[in-house]
Amino acid sequence: MLALVAPSIFFVALFFVAPLGLFLFRSVDNSEVPGWLPRTVAALSDWNGAGLPHEAAFRALGEDLAALSGSTALPLLGRRLNHNIPGFRSLITATGSRVDPRRDGSMREQLLQIDARWGEPVYWQTIRRERHVLTWFYLLTALDLRYGTAGGLERAPGESAIFLDLLGRTLGISAVVTLLCVLLGFPVAATMAASSPARANALLILVLVPFWTSLLVRSTAWVILLQNQGVVNQALVGLGLIGKPVPLIFNRLGLYIAMVHVLLPFMVLPLYSVLKGIRPELMRAAASLGAPPWTAFLRVYVPQALPGLVAGASLVFVLALGYYITPALVGGPGDQMIGYFIAYFTNTAVNWGMASALGTILLLVVSLIYVALGRIVGLDRLVVR
Amino acid sequence: MVKPPRLWIAIAVALTAWTGIAHAQTKFVVGNAGGSSADAERKVFYGPFAAANKIQIQEESFNQELAKIRSQVETGNLIWDIVSTTAINVATGCEEGLLEKVDWSKYLDPKSFQGVGGISECGVPYLFVSGGLTYDGNRIKDGPKTWADFWNVTKWPGKRGMLYRAEQTFEVALMADGVPPPKAMEVLAGPGGVDRAMKKLEALKPNIHWWKNGAESITLVSTGEVAMTYAWNGRVAAANKTNNLNLKIELGAGHVSGCQYWAVMKGSKNKELAIKFIQYAVSAQPQADFVRAINYGPANSEAYALLTEQEKATLPSKHMDKASLQLGKLYLGFWLANGDSLLQRFVKFAAQ
Repeated sequence: MLALVAPSIFFVALFFVAPLGLFLFRSVDNSEVPGWLPRTVAALSDWNGAGLPHEAAFRALGEDLAALSGSTALPLLGRRLNHNIPGFRSLITATGSRVDPRRDGSMREQLLQIDARWGEPVYWQTIRRERHVLTWFYLLTALDLRYGTAGGLERAPGESAIFLDLLGRTLGISAVVTLLCVLLGFPVAATMAASSPARANALLILVLVPFWTSLLVRSTAWVILLQNQGVVNQALVGLGLIGKPVPLIFNRLGLYIAMVHVLLPFMVLPLYSVLKGIRPELMRAAASLGAPPWTAFLRVYVPQALPGLVAGASLVFVLALGYYITPALVGGPGDQMIGYFIAYFTNTAVNWGMASALGTILLLVVSLIYVALGRIVGLDRLVVR
Repeated sequence: MVKPPRLWIAIAVALTAWTGIAHAQTKFVVGNAGGSSADAERKVFYGPFAAANKIQIQEESFNQELAKIRSQVETGNLIWDIVSTTAINVATGCEEGLLEKVDWSKYLDPKSFQGVGGISECGVPYLFVSGGLTYDGNRIKDGPKTWADFWNVTKWPGKRGMLYRAEQTFEVALMADGVPPPKAMEVLAGPGGVDRAMKKLEALKPNIHWWKNGAESITLVSTGEVAMTYAWNGRVAAANKTNNLNLKIELGAGHVSGCQYWAVMKGSKNKELAIKFIQYAVSAQPQADFVRAINYGPANSEAYALLTEQEKATLPSKHMDKASLQLGKLYLGFWLANGDSLLQRFVKFAAQ
């Protein structure tokens, strides 16, 4: 038996667990700073962080930066530190290309002459804080936290505190979409399960055709239908039902409509496969024992449907969490989800630490939800028997 | 002994011949922006150059994500030979060793490119794009003339399309607030500049419809979903031509303009060929043909001599005194240092 599953275990380990692990590690990886500023890091380790460090630290930084001068490491180090303080990049590249450690006199004066910002403790404190090979910086930023000037943690200022809102919004949108999918999908799946095979097949095709259509096509189609000058609004205005077009898209409503449409098959299909296995005699038996239809439904039908319901709901929820193309196309600026930012940090900003930190936080939150769900519902009840 | 079937021999011969042919032709790969600008590039640059040099040019779509260049160079898995990219990417890629440094003065006359900010070590400008105030001439007869008009929703009711990005949008906001366009970057980078831009945007925010890619801006304004929008001139001209629209772009209101550059990927095996291609693509005749194909301005000033007055009228050249340029030390330094943190601030602002 083990030999049979070994290839798939190997496959998963090599192509899923290993890359995922490496990606998650990016959220704490800080090898650039200690790797490229070895002397500075050593010199700053016995500095208490108050005021400006001693001449030895200035000297060490001057030597480190001079050693990096001309190589591509200098701008990369600048880019890394620019994540902490905007503007750090130019400070590093300008200093690195102009510093001369062989020149006599105080290195402190030389650095201050190149750029007066070396006289501000915050730049030194940042290098000191980032001197280890691991950092909490990205994960803290993803939670809207930062180090205060005194050294302790504090909330990020209002204008840059976006990630907790974003996480809450992502979870909220996913939860609403899941709920709507359950409400819409359950009757469909139940009807299919109760129908004759021919009718069930016809219904199945109606579910599957949109499922096979490209996500982009479906999202764009909703734009055409729902925009102010779109089919729906023009029809309503033409019929005299509304005076002027109502905003149906580029807001939360449009996002819910498009996402529910895209994700509904993921709810219906697992649910249908479970509901089909429920024997209709059981409902009749419940009725013959005196249960009114509603009671029979709640106490006989739903408990048996639960595995399918949870499977469908969790599938929809997890898929919804990762959506970013649909919100980008049909949502407003207040409807963007965390995936949009992960893609932004990965591709555009090339800040993989931040992308990874957002992914890590999302993964942790989802795991927590699943553990909690398992505790409440009981995982053993979810197995399809 | 079993005789090999004839069919197999035929297949083997055919395969050998085919791979032989495939090897004989150099494969040259370009990363470009796709869409209507790639169509124009294919017609004017790739087609003639490939035919003249007996090579095959392949295209790949590139949305200016620096990560795409970085991953190719760092893994040593080079797919592209040259790439069409922005000033910020050229500056970053050059510093970080992702693009080849070339002494362009050996191949080109740097003076011809002075008008658009000049050649950089790693990139040669080849088109000049202007983002400006755009509206549908069929819907609005008495059109807006300034960015302050764009902000005036009582006289011109309706939504306003704007780019969902801090860069370009902040410059435009400052123009609407009375800053002369050439000074917009200086004011933005100066004390209180960002706050001033955001305050101006705040006033228009309930009426703004944010768009994320150029095609969207054209759709929004041509369907009447927005009354006016910020849009890039080549796309406006292309839409007028192919979809028979009457979109107007008011560059006199002030515009945000910059170049798109050709750059050679670091470590390209076809470096010589890449230089030859760039040399061809920025020479006067193809530059003039490119203007006719898509209406983006030429980077090489020699091309103007080959254009008719009518063709020149579609270009921003007579509105250059109203440009906030996406080049130079101030622009690059400001956005390289503050791009990420300002985008975060901008996104938070747009979502509230």
